[in-house]
Amino acid sequence: MLLPVLGEFALWTALPIAIWGLVLAFLGGRWGRGDLVLSAERSVHAVTFLLVLASAGIISAFLNDQYQYWYVYNYSNRELATFYKVAGLWAGQRGSLVFWALNLAIFSSLAVYFNRARNREFMPYVVGVLLVIQAFFLIICLFVSNAFELLAFTPPDGRGLNPQLQNYWMVIHPPTLYLGFTSFSIPFAFAIAALMSGRLDARWIEVTRRWILLSWFFLANGIIFGMRWAYEELGWGGYWFWDPVENASLLPWLAATAFLHSVMIQEYRGMLKVWNMSLVILTFLLTVFATFLTRSGLIESVHSFAQNLTIAWIFLGFLAGVAVISYGLLIWRLPRLRSDQPFESFVSRESAFLLNNLILLGALFAVLWGTLFPLITEGFTGSKVAVGPPFFNQVNIPIGLALLALMGVGPVIAWRRASKRNLLRNFALPVSVGLVLTLALALGGMRHGYALATFGIGAFVLAVIVVEFWKGTQARARIEGEGSLLALFHLVSRNRRRWGGYIVHVGVVVIFMGFGGAAFDVEVRQSVLPGETISLASPYGHRYELTYEGISTSRAQNMIQWVALLQVYKDGEPVGTITSEKRQYITTQQPVSEVGIRSTLMEDLYVILATVDDMPGVFLNSPQSERATFQVMVNPLVGWIWYGALILTVGTLIALWPPRGPLRASGRGTATPGVGAAHPRGDPSPSVPAGVGG
Amino acid sequence: MALMAAILLAGGVVLYVLLPVLTGESSPLDRLDDEATEEDSRRRVTLLALRDVEYDYVTGKLDELDYKSLRREISTEALEAMDRSASAAGTPPPASAGVATSERERLLEEEIQELRRGLKTGGLCPGCGAALAPGGHFCGRCGQALRAPPSGGDSAGTP
Amino acid sequence: MRRDHRFFAGLVGVAAVITYLVWTGVTSTMVYYLTPTELLARVQADPGFHDLGLKVSGQVVPGSYQPGEAELLHRFVIRDLEDESVTLDVEFREPLPDTFADDAEVVLEGRYRSDGVFDAVVVLTKCGSRYEAIPEEMAMARFPLLPS
Repeated sequence: MLLPVLGEFALWTALPIAIWGLVLAFLGGRWGRGDLVLSAERSVHAVTFLLVLASAGIISAFLNDQYQYWYVYNYSNRELATFYKVAGLWAGQRGSLVFWALNLAIFSSLAVYFNRARNREFMPYVVGVLLVIQAFFLIICLFVSNAFELLAFTPPDGRGLNPQLQNYWMVIHPPTLYLGFTSFSIPFAFAIAALMSGRLDARWIEVTRRWILLSWFFLANGIIFGMRWAYEELGWGGYWFWDPVENASLLPWLAATAFLHSVMIQEYRGMLKVWNMSLVILTFLLTVFATFLTRSGLIESVHSFAQNLTIAWIFLGFLAGVAVISYGLLIWRLPRLRSDQPFESFVSRESAFLLNNLILLGALFAVLWGTLFPLITEGFTGSKVAVGPPFFNQVNIPIGLALLALMGVGPVIAWRRASKRNLLRNFALPVSVGLVLTLALALGGMRHGYALATFGIGAFVLAVIVVEFWKGTQARARIEGEGSLLALFHLVSRNRRRWGGYIVHVGVVVIFMGFGGAAFDVEVRQSVLPGETISLASPYGHRYELTYEGISTSRAQNMIQWVALLQVYKDGEPVGTITSEKRQYITTQQPVSEVGIRSTLMEDLYVILATVDDMPGVFLNSPQSERATFQVMVNPLVGWIWYGALILTVGTLIALWPPRGPLRASGRGTATPGVGAAHPRGDPSPSVPAGVGG
Repeated sequence: MALMAAILLAGGVVLYVLLPVLTGESSPLDRLDDEATEEDSRRRVTLLALRDVEYDYVTGKLDELDYKSLRREISTEALEAMDRSASAAGTPPPASAGVATSERERLLEEEIQELRRGLKTGGLCPGCGAALAPGGHFCGRCGQALRAPPSGGDSAGTP
Repeated sequence: MRRDHRFFAGLVGVAAVITYLVWTGVTSTMVYYLTPTELLARVQADPGFHDLGLKVSGQVVPGSYQPGEAELLHRFVIRDLEDESVTLDVEFREPLPDTFADDAEVVLEGRYRSDGVFDAVVVLTKCGSRYEAIPEEMAMARFPLLPS
């Protein structure tokens, strides 16, 4: 097979090209040599081409069952569906590092292409920084964890893919997450380029703002897809376990969320320049840290295995190097990064954003601390002490609620300084909405404090946002004489970032309410024979009855399935059937549970086939072998997490949609007298404030 | 076969990357003329801030007193930004040589008017139909002037 | 300057609240992570150790598993990974993970009762060298294999 061989060769070629490019980029930038910079920019495209080839090589090795490759042998077999063979590129560490490099390369090429006639002062350094990161990943791909490593012989068949990874969500979850991680390199590169080139105005932020929003969006979706996968595949009824690797993906997301908010303060007020620069660097460092945690298995090793320590040290070295150089540059440029303006008032949107930043970083710190806690205690005291989900919940629920409340406060407070009287007036309605809902829920029998707070604050935030939309639409309709719908459309399209952002907030509120539902999960476990019934009261008051119909077996391509069928009754009414499975994959010995989920808007019925007493007996159709134990759960509001994610996606797309017309505000120095009678400045006409673009 | 392909591949890539150094073909390294400067973006931001103040007032987040004082403040900032923006363009700032303050204020008001008009109309270029950014005097796509062309008056501000 | 003080106070306030949350969180939820050998040594030194939440890792002794009769009560014995002579009796009342088997490496969470039996609330299984690719995949899959 030609393609895998060529792919490996391409991977080897990519490293020298990347190193050549990074050296030339920095030299070209330093000496002002355009030819060197062009050569460096071409290296970026060349590396992308070579990595496409390398990835194609790996995929081709999977598709053609080239089991002489260690990586293919360990992650595929002949029975594996084509779909999962293609996904084999990111199924394991070795391939996923190449995939990572490929993503980075594609983003780098896009950045170079889009800026071929813009931001030229930055580009040499941007290219240089991106190629440094690329070279680092290529070195790991080649020398530490090579996907093209050959076995000494060619096995007839592979060992197969871990059954738990054979799930639709698992195929799209890692790529989405990787897209998020790798695209953060671009804003980071621009930030470093701004520091190195000395052009420290708002330009780099203007250039990178959308990149960051895009990365943030990929990361958010990657995390949520992961939750979806955990919920459907891991079969324990939950979606988030505060596992180190999960936390690792949450950390850069928190930092990026902080940046997305604080960057607005810099744009509008020229403040917090150092802070924003630090946040971008921090976000990038955390993405590398996340890769490091995922790849090195260092935290897991505390639990039981000593894993790939070579990778751990290489990553740690890279991380330290990047941190020292980046923050060193920042300190060097500190005198030129002073704020244009001071904070004017404690009660202002700036303050709300600042508070939001502090709390987000607090959450980041708490998660980081909890994740690294076993390492820290072992290092200092010698005894291993771990904290689990209870710690993270205990710390992060109050923090999350505070953030939720701030989401409602932010839109209502004016920039610079808010009028306190108006603040009270504006809060009156939303706060009452929140209080009424809380009271109603409490009277309805809800006794869970955090859940009540979540729903109450969530309702408050939603009310604030609805009022914002309403007021904006009304004002616009009045001034422009438009119909409400048209006014709403114009309102949103005039300031997509603001209104898109509010829609994202709605999504986040819905997701939080989905989390709140977890406080009322109920479950029952029962061992039943066919014909017997499991009964379970939903937290909403109705009763589910599940009648066990029986179990059947079937042989699929690469597994045997035991499928249990249950008839579902809700308050005595039949509402359908549900199946729950156990699977035995041919290649691995262990059985895997496939849960049955019946999802509705308000709750999920979640059925786990816990044990089948006599699995071989069922397979052989022997009588009286069908006794099985089921774990049945009712999980309220889980669906809201996925719906919230959809709303979040819509909001982000609105905010990301390119603005109409060029970014550039106007021709420079053309402030000329022209037509249009002007008001004398001392008498602004408050009667028709027309600037209702939001 | 594989060897041939590999040699071709490596040769092509190396040639592609090295060519600029050999022929001297180069990428531009300087800021392009039509790129927004720091002054431009400050000016844009102050105008946006004005828009926000208007919005906050009309939706009841600011009361009239605060609205007026804020508006005055931001107007001053916008004015300074406009001055700087003009001077950065290589022309002396209108404020420099004892030009009446009222003149500058008038300029500012015009900016604001322009801003408002853009917000209202949604600003489509009469020439090519491209959408316009608020406050623009020229279409960003085809370069068409959007109102009476400047009579060279941005320097001294004489009408 | 008054304003600066207020911002500073706000910053210190947020930092203090979060530190407090983390501190109380750690002290009230942390669990010791021990091997059976370490656990037995601790218990001998300090009888009050029975009250603490613990995580213990070990290996299931082949043939020691007794399935529950009517109710779900699993009994099995684990041994220390290094010193095979040290064993620990375990009771567990939830469904066992799919991967639970003789010789499987397990991580238990629970309490060490004063009658010398470990009362497990959670049983996690780890896949050892039998399936080389698994640890890597688990990192990919973000979880250790969880109880189903």
